[in-house]
Amino acid sequence: MAETFQNLLLGFSVALQPSILVYAFVGCLIGTLVGMMPGLGPLAGISLLLPATFGLNPIIAIVLLAGVYYGAMYGGSTTSILLRIPGEAASVMTCVDGYAMTQRGRAGPALAIAAIGSFVAGTLGVIGLMLLAPTLAEFALRFGPPEYTALLLMGLFILAYMSGGSMLKTLAMAALGLMLGMIGIDVMSGYTRFSLGIVELGDGVGIVPVAVGLFGVSEILLAAGATAALPVQRPKLRELIPSREEFRLSAGPIARGSLLGFMIGIIPGSAHIISSFVSYGIERRLSKHPERFGQGAIEGVAGPESANNAAATGAFVPMMALGIPTSPVTAVMIAAIMVHGILPGPMLIQQQPELFWGFVASMYVGNVVLLILNLPMVGLFVNLLRIPYAYLYPCILCFCILGTYSVSNSLVDVWILLVMGGLGYVLRKLGYDLAPVALGLVLAPMLELSLRQSLAMSAGDYGIFLDRPIATTMLALGVVLFLFALKPLVFKGKDWRDQVGLEKQ
Amino acid sequence: MIRSILAAGVLLASTGAFAQGAFPARPITMIVAFPPGGVADITARPTAAAMEKILKQPVSVTNRPGAAGAVGNAAVANAKPDGYTILMALSSISVIPAADELFNRRPAYALDQFAPIALISADPTILVSHPSLPVKTLKDLVALARARPGELSYSSSGVYGALHMPMEIFMHATKLKMRHVPTTGGGPAINAILGGHVALTAGGPAAISGHVKAGKMRPLASWGATRHASYPNVPTFMEMGYKNVEYYIWAGMFAPKATPDAVMKVLRDTARKTVADPDFRKAMAAVDSLVQYKDAPEFQQYWMADAKRLAGLVRIVGKVEAKK
Repeated sequence: MAETFQNLLLGFSVALQPSILVYAFVGCLIGTLVGMMPGLGPLAGISLLLPATFGLNPIIAIVLLAGVYYGAMYGGSTTSILLRIPGEAASVMTCVDGYAMTQRGRAGPALAIAAIGSFVAGTLGVIGLMLLAPTLAEFALRFGPPEYTALLLMGLFILAYMSGGSMLKTLAMAALGLMLGMIGIDVMSGYTRFSLGIVELGDGVGIVPVAVGLFGVSEILLAAGATAALPVQRPKLRELIPSREEFRLSAGPIARGSLLGFMIGIIPGSAHIISSFVSYGIERRLSKHPERFGQGAIEGVAGPESANNAAATGAFVPMMALGIPTSPVTAVMIAAIMVHGILPGPMLIQQQPELFWGFVASMYVGNVVLLILNLPMVGLFVNLLRIPYAYLYPCILCFCILGTYSVSNSLVDVWILLVMGGLGYVLRKLGYDLAPVALGLVLAPMLELSLRQSLAMSAGDYGIFLDRPIATTMLALGVVLFLFALKPLVFKGKDWRDQVGLEKQ
Repeated sequence: MIRSILAAGVLLASTGAFAQGAFPARPITMIVAFPPGGVADITARPTAAAMEKILKQPVSVTNRPGAAGAVGNAAVANAKPDGYTILMALSSISVIPAADELFNRRPAYALDQFAPIALISADPTILVSHPSLPVKTLKDLVALARARPGELSYSSSGVYGALHMPMEIFMHATKLKMRHVPTTGGGPAINAILGGHVALTAGGPAAISGHVKAGKMRPLASWGATRHASYPNVPTFMEMGYKNVEYYIWAGMFAPKATPDAVMKVLRDTARKTVADPDFRKAMAAVDSLVQYKDAPEFQQYWMADAKRLAGLVRIVGKVEAKK
């Protein structure tokens, strides 16, 4: 412990150097802006910035990029809450209740809680990274394809169990998402599926254009089709601050979201986005008034926003402790230190203590910077809503298209965005919930890949899922949840969903 | 009105003539068909920086990732052949058309749509095993794999990817059978072996170096023609008697096929000066990548031989997979 403290002092002596402080601030600022741009997520943000770090020293490079990464996680919630446009993929769930709160005139509290939740989650995450990194990293490595399969299956079961609205409609949307996820090159055999001869579709349909299209563009189309012009909101200062009741309701979701997000963040793979879905599901299940979810429940903002920030920090655990990239974002960050001749590996913390502890300390500083940066801006952002929709929405549409295009300089992505916007419009007119489409699209390729990798490891023997304790436990848990979800279909009238008002549609 | 159109016409004609006169008259775009941070990107950035100094024109790197490089490669194959759009490609450029052919896909591009400028770097992959696997040498491994056919598993960066082909070359030469666990990139392939989920993988020298030093992986053999400077104790497959087991992840520059000879000459001269640039050398040394310069004619020869061999291998592997 004393050693940790000494190391942390070393870290702060690095992180509080003016030059590094400035870069941490710049990173957080750029990250916030990148996160707010619809379509541009943390990956796009740090990819665009990576070349600029080649000329800096490695500590500055990693502090800057990390700032962009978790800054984007903060910023992603802003447009979700104000405009129902996910700033990045992990903020999809925030759209649902965050935007409902905006419509009820509670945009300020939603933004404030998102910022506070992100701060708490980020800070807890850094403490976890600092104290537990080496221990947890070994655990992360035990997550091979079978464990990953079990985790993703559990995610799907939770989705079925927790879904609101009509079960049929939810499952139909999840199925649509899963089918969209089948497009692209089959990683195991190299065959291309459903790509219509378009080379870009070989990679599959990206989550960014789909999420921005389904949620954002459809919202703009709906507004254009509204018979009465939408009233422009004029929030008062008093309404910007969360009420005591809202703070009380948010405390639990923030704590649970932080823990859950951190654990999911550690696991190698791209499953970070499911942390916000799972958190939302859990909060809805735990709530005494689940019927409020979807109508502007503050828990539906606090949980997922904390979870996605904690996941961002959790991803640094295997990156720093083992020197392995476990997600595309950390892969870019490893490249950023590799070009300075620091080769990643399990000795990274011992060999580069200044890098690691400076990085940890800079994250403490960064989270404070982000809180200071974001809370006062709540008032500013909320005032965006004063702009008449006739001017605001065309600009937003423009940003959606620009942001989506710039992720991989691809026009095909823009077309996907527009098609999904149209599709989202139709589906929402028919009363479908769109979040399961996004979740299905994210899960399908990962689930298929990890399932088939597991079977490749065992030469086709499904017993591999029963040989490995972590995988078996998670599968069992998933099956139990699944049986609970099936129960009302078998025993009619004993539907807890009915009792808590979920089947009302 | 007419005067202004005429003036514009004259202006256009004069810039056209100027562009013909001195290449490059405007910024050059170097396309990288992979996301930032990968081997292609890390090679392209210092190359572009050195070219800028030589050409006195900006050379900007643009990432066009997608379909394991097919998207970016196709973009350059179909670009205007004026030398202002060039490609920093990896060895996978040769495999993609062969895989397209195997799966009856409309090919994203054909190899003869490119004119090689220069080979920049070539890194041999290195065979590593998980420390729990009871093998110390390549000989042990071959014996073990022969005793337990189809039981040892290896991870790769994806089917027909840069880390899959060397394993196939090795297995083809030794007639060994092993389980293939493809992943989505070089990083995940390394994670799979670190976690002990597979026994073997072929890794890039820089990517595995930290793990080898920490004892988390055991290097057994290198696909290079000579021993790798950073791994002096690791024998090559060739020393161990496997004659044709040789493979490199190389990076080279290409232009669209119809690029005029005069422009190609400028680009080739620039590439030759680039590889001698001290900053470029320093950057490549930092990522432990071996500079391996070949001018267009030799590169063309090298590339064609490499492409022919890999395409043949894709067909053999594909047929094996189809039979299963």
